[in-house]
Amino acid sequence: MSGQLIASIADGVVLAAILAVAAMGFTLQFSLTNVLNLSFGSVMTVGAFVAYLIAVVHLTPWLGIALGGVAGAVTTVVLGRGVLRLYARRRTQLFEMMMVTLGLSLIIDYTVQAISHNNIYGYSVLQGSALEMGPIRVTPVQVGIVILALVVLLATWGALKFTRMGKALRATAVEPGLARACGIPTGRVVLVTWVASGFLCGLAGVVFVISTQSVDYTTGEGFLPLVIAAAILGGVGNLWGAVGASLVMGIVTEVVAGLGQGGYSTVAGFAILVVVLLLRPGAVFGGSEDRQLVL
Amino acid sequence: MQPRKLTLGAALAALSGLLLAACGSTAATSKATLNVGGVIAITGSSSFEGGNLFEGVYPALYEINQAGGVLGHKLALKQVDTRGDPADALPAVQQMLATTSNLVMVAGVDTSSAPTIVPVLNSAHIPMTTVAGESVYDQSPYPYFWRLFPPDSANGTAMALWAKKKGYNRVAAVFGSDPGSQGDLPGNVQSLKALHIPLVANITLTPGQSSYQSQVNQLIAAHPDVIMTEADSGTAGTFFGELKSLGGLVPIIGTQAMDTPPEISAIQSALGPTDFQKYMSMVISAPSQVTPAVTAFNNAVKGDASQIGVSVSQAQQNPFAVVYYDGMIAMALAMVAAKSTDPKVFNSYMSKVCNPGPGKTVVYTFAQGVKALNQGKQIQYFGASGLIDFNKYHNSYGNQEAVSLTSSGAAVPLGTISVQAIEAVKVTGVA
Repeated sequence: MSGQLIASIADGVVLAAILAVAAMGFTLQFSLTNVLNLSFGSVMTVGAFVAYLIAVVHLTPWLGIALGGVAGAVTTVVLGRGVLRLYARRRTQLFEMMMVTLGLSLIIDYTVQAISHNNIYGYSVLQGSALEMGPIRVTPVQVGIVILALVVLLATWGALKFTRMGKALRATAVEPGLARACGIPTGRVVLVTWVASGFLCGLAGVVFVISTQSVDYTTGEGFLPLVIAAAILGGVGNLWGAVGASLVMGIVTEVVAGLGQGGYSTVAGFAILVVVLLLRPGAVFGGSEDRQLVL
Repeated sequence: MQPRKLTLGAALAALSGLLLAACGSTAATSKATLNVGGVIAITGSSSFEGGNLFEGVYPALYEINQAGGVLGHKLALKQVDTRGDPADALPAVQQMLATTSNLVMVAGVDTSSAPTIVPVLNSAHIPMTTVAGESVYDQSPYPYFWRLFPPDSANGTAMALWAKKKGYNRVAAVFGSDPGSQGDLPGNVQSLKALHIPLVANITLTPGQSSYQSQVNQLIAAHPDVIMTEADSGTAGTFFGELKSLGGLVPIIGTQAMDTPPEISAIQSALGPTDFQKYMSMVISAPSQVTPAVTAFNNAVKGDASQIGVSVSQAQQNPFAVVYYDGMIAMALAMVAAKSTDPKVFNSYMSKVCNPGPGKTVVYTFAQGVKALNQGKQIQYFGASGLIDFNKYHNSYGNQEAVSLTSSGAAVPLGTISVQAIEAVKVTGVA
């Protein structure tokens, strides 16, 4: 039993690593723009499909990982600057903007569905023989995913903490009006945020399908609730919190599945969110009702 | 001027008379087209079910219409998209019932929508030929429900029998948690019990998860010598991909529902072509021997190729398509036998034109059936899927067969599980 528990915790860490990459991207964008971006999962799908196409033409999967991230960044910038900003200028409210992102999500999903002929495509790259360490059995690519998540965490945290743009981003997230008055180019900050969160989104999509070994038009959509839950559970805008929440949700999900209750594993993960929202009401939108769109 | 007015009036009257006569003549010589509702998932993640239906119903309509139609009526398919979701299916079906004139029957009703839609169609007195496998229809209370496909429980029993025949003695069941995937599980588990084959792991997969790593490790720890499975294509692809990565592959036996292009494609992608052929097998309805009914089906597929969009071999390898074809032909023959297109009248003729019986003339095509009926004979339609013999619950199914698949998807027979053997396994607790 303890062996099974240890194995499930290890599996949970792998799931958490995938979740963390996405949750970091989501929380970064949400904390700055205040847009609860429901098209995030669809952009993950776009990134995943780009990586798949790279594999189809027999180029290195590493290029697929990079271009998947780039595709996520480009798509997100197009949506953020090309669509969402238009709505913001018309004084669209937070909830309405959320519905706009839902609409965009559907448009992307069904476009991908049409292009992909509604098929599920196998995506088996970078797989190797399993490594066994006592009760733990993982593949090299899963170890790689965990390392990648750590690298992304440290790089993003370092960029936010030590670079001028990072400081500007944090200042804009806290008080955009004051940041603008202090000469911070908030428009550029928002653009950089879209790029960074979009890149992480696309990257998460690729990492996700490397793990699931298949891609279809619903790939990101199904994962989005977990991403949002982790971002909210960790505290909006809190990178370390997002990673910690991902760990909790990943481990709980896999431990419940390991106990033979696979049907309830995701439910158990969300039960934590429900309890946290009960204890910390108003976690969504940072607990403040007067947050404004920053686009 | 007066005579000219009279002449013009007379000409108009004559023209009107001619037009009326022409209209009357048309009404006298052609009858209204009868509509068949194709109630199935056409879009969405279950859209392959729509493909299965069209590959069977369109050839049947082609054959029927080529033979002059039913009692002088041509038949046409009206597509109704359920999207595989009861919430979408119900309003779509209600709209079909409210707006479709001359609706004589329905083909389809996908598995997910069946619990909602079957009672609605039954109340509306619309006969339906379906492939929904839920065991709840094994003793169907719906007189307008007709199933020419093995119930899930029978498929589960056939899988257990095949495992016994192959000498497996440590079985793991891996099934999706969605209703469509759960259908075979109770029959499978109870049959394993009845056959004294240990079930060492019973794993449920919630569809759409990012990973099934814990379930894979749980499976490997149980050391099964065979896996029995059904899950949607995405879930199956992820699970078996991870199972292969973690070095846990053992022979896999899939249900009939796994024998569809999306499932095959997903598992083949996950395992790779070599391991797919080495480990994967399925238990499906035994294909019929080549009879004139099979030839008629093939000819109809060829004849209506532009509408169907798949090759003869593709349609032939699709057990769902063949069954839909048979259901449509049988229903059309029931109308002819009843000399009525009123569903309340011809519905009860389904068994009469299909089930074997003394003195009946065996027919293999719609045209043969019409000819025999017109000669006053009783008929038995022997379908492209084989013998059709409805029980009192309007269920008909035959032998099952274990098959492996080549890389191109062609079935390679491994062995037959007879319907007698399936019925001899006494399972309890399966609804």
